[in-house]
Amino acid sequence: MPSTRTPAAAAPPQGAAAPRLSYQPVARLWRHRWPLLFIAPFFVLFAVFFLYPVGFSLWLGLHSTRGLARSEFVGFGNFELLFRDPLFWGSMANAVILFLIYVPLMTVLAIVLASVLNAGFLRLQGLWRALIFLPHITSMVAAGYTFRLLLERDSGYVNAALSFFGVSPIPWLDDQWWARISLGLLMIWAWLGYNTVIMLAGLQTIPRELVEAAKVDGAGRFQALIRITVPLLKPVIVFAVTLSVIGTFSMFAEPFVLTRGGPARATETPVMQIFSTTFEELRYGYAAAMSFVYFAVVVGVTIVQLAFMTRGDDR
Amino acid sequence: MTGSRRILALGLAALLSITACGGTSPPSASGPTVPSSAAPGTQSPSGPSEATLPPISPDPSLTGTLTVWGWEAAINTLKEVDADFAAAYPNITLEYVVAPPADTYRNLQLAVSAGSGAPDVSVIEDSHLAQFVELEALADITDQVSPYVPLMNDYKWEQAQLDGRYYAMPWDSGPVAVYYRRDVFETAGVDPATIETWEDYYEAAKTIKAEAGVPMWQHSKARNFARLFEKMIWQRGLGYVDDQGAVILDKDPKILEVLEYMGRMWEEDLALDNEEWTDPWYAAFADGTVATQVEAVWMGTFFKSFIAPEAAGKWGVFKLPVWQAGDVQASNDGGSQLAIFEQSEQKEAAWAYVQFYLGRSESQLLMYEKQDIFPSLEPTYEDPFFSEADPYFGGDKARELFAETVAEIPNANIYTADYQEMNALLQAEIQKFALGEQTAQQALAAAAQLIRDQTQRP
Repeated sequence: MPSTRTPAAAAPPQGAAAPRLSYQPVARLWRHRWPLLFIAPFFVLFAVFFLYPVGFSLWLGLHSTRGLARSEFVGFGNFELLFRDPLFWGSMANAVILFLIYVPLMTVLAIVLASVLNAGFLRLQGLWRALIFLPHITSMVAAGYTFRLLLERDSGYVNAALSFFGVSPIPWLDDQWWARISLGLLMIWAWLGYNTVIMLAGLQTIPRELVEAAKVDGAGRFQALIRITVPLLKPVIVFAVTLSVIGTFSMFAEPFVLTRGGPARATETPVMQIFSTTFEELRYGYAAAMSFVYFAVVVGVTIVQLAFMTRGDDR
Repeated sequence: MTGSRRILALGLAALLSITACGGTSPPSASGPTVPSSAAPGTQSPSGPSEATLPPISPDPSLTGTLTVWGWEAAINTLKEVDADFAAAYPNITLEYVVAPPADTYRNLQLAVSAGSGAPDVSVIEDSHLAQFVELEALADITDQVSPYVPLMNDYKWEQAQLDGRYYAMPWDSGPVAVYYRRDVFETAGVDPATIETWEDYYEAAKTIKAEAGVPMWQHSKARNFARLFEKMIWQRGLGYVDDQGAVILDKDPKILEVLEYMGRMWEEDLALDNEEWTDPWYAAFADGTVATQVEAVWMGTFFKSFIAPEAAGKWGVFKLPVWQAGDVQASNDGGSQLAIFEQSEQKEAAWAYVQFYLGRSESQLLMYEKQDIFPSLEPTYEDPFFSEADPYFGGDKARELFAETVAEIPNANIYTADYQEMNALLQAEIQKFALGEQTAQQALAAAAQLIRDQTQRP
């Protein structure tokens, strides 16, 4: 899952809780000049690269702009337009559909692969782990174009291979649903290794004795996986799926290269919408408003997903 | 040249692909329309014979270092004139910055937004020009270009002006005609001279499909960029909006007729479903597995250089069919201009550059002969080069045909300031129509509604 975002920088550390107000704040600052100087770089960078952009985006979101040459205060006008913009909500729906297409399958595959990689009987473990992670570090542009060549309806190798078995050509990229499936395949290809590594890390924290005890009690390998390993792995699975939720909504490079959001916007994601609104239409204000709503939706969906996946947990 | 052309083509493809949009927009620039140059028809295509090209008297004392932005094919073409320019203006140094079209536009937009970093001069396609004019990014060069207004293809000025002021100078035009495979037509026993109306074209398509087994044109369904549609409504003087800026896609029955016609070609399997600017698309042209291509003059350049160099002599050109007798046989696709940026601190030198490259017959002809960029400057059409037979097109006088065509191109409100956006919105609806999810009427109604909602046009 393309976790392009890191969690927002932690809240600034609380100052040494001043018990009483100093009557000479300047002198107090001066007294602490060295510690202040040493922690300054973080705050300067935070202000320049986080606070200022967010503040400026907020300003933009309240203005109607064309380029930056002209802007006009419109209050919440952009947001009003946005709430009845079928293209924006369509892209949100696309993200949900894409999520359902590839995340469950990818997560299951990641658990299975991680279990295999974690199994004692496998030789050359390092090699397999490296190979499974390899797609993730491959350039998405290269991979995306390769997938396009493979999946082309008339000239692609996949259909050529299928025709060998008598399957009629599949419109991988030329049908709204097939395009979503193709994009899901590319996502699984690119992100399976990443998820597998997370799952593997989780598996390695589970004591082997538990599985062995289950086997002693008569559980098969599959049963041990379902009854013992997966429940113990749940916090890690929740973490991985959360990253997938965020990653699916912020998906950009994959559809941009593979389908360009088509056919008929079927694979257009919210971030693609924001990108084209900003850089092709130059409607910075509207795009800023989109970004805020997008952020709120992603946070909301993440919370719902967390609540859904952790319901029944003790905590 | 192969490489550069390919890059342009790829760039173009990339450009089209980025389902893109243009700013929110008030009614398109419909300033004082310059009266149509040269009554179209039987006259010489060379436009007004009265107006003459203003002589250029270079001021060699002009100094400066000009930055010029563009993409590889464009810059390579401009460079053909560099030697002459250096002789006329020895103290002006040129610095070209080459980037694919999409990157060039993005960098220009960023520079304009940032308030600094724009070049002195940039190549801008007609499809993107109005957006920059609206952004007030370009220098007002009305006084300088005025003498050239009657000398350039009239329709080109539409994009370059706003409220009667001019912000760019036309470079090349994109007159559209029908390219056809002679061998395919012969096999099917179809004489291109008999194709006068689009109905004839459709009948020919059926015959060719039946007799030669070859589809008439290439037109993608799921990856439709609405370019063919635009060419065909442009021929009828129609665009996305009318002169007042109101959306007409769902209003004009002639537009519906065009889209339904395209639907018929898909339905009856007369169209080959390949995405433009991809290998299968090129291959069909090279192998003759498609019979025609409705395309602008620059397509010939691509055929000759990298798409189908082996097919020399097998292609021919004829003028666009009409919907009704008496209609114009001309349309436009693409074309570009040179603009000076408001940020430039050397506007005088920049104008010297633009004028020397575009306002001079010798320069424009040189660029046309060397790189096949079709000049918008009408006096050049008098040159004997235009009446030479073109061996690639089996001896057709293709240049003459395009020079005749270009004089007839009607004004159409396609390349507006928000063209990118309207085009993207239409693309998706045409794709749904092509995939059988809605009718032509529904597609146009949906596109029109989306455009009204997104651009606040009436």
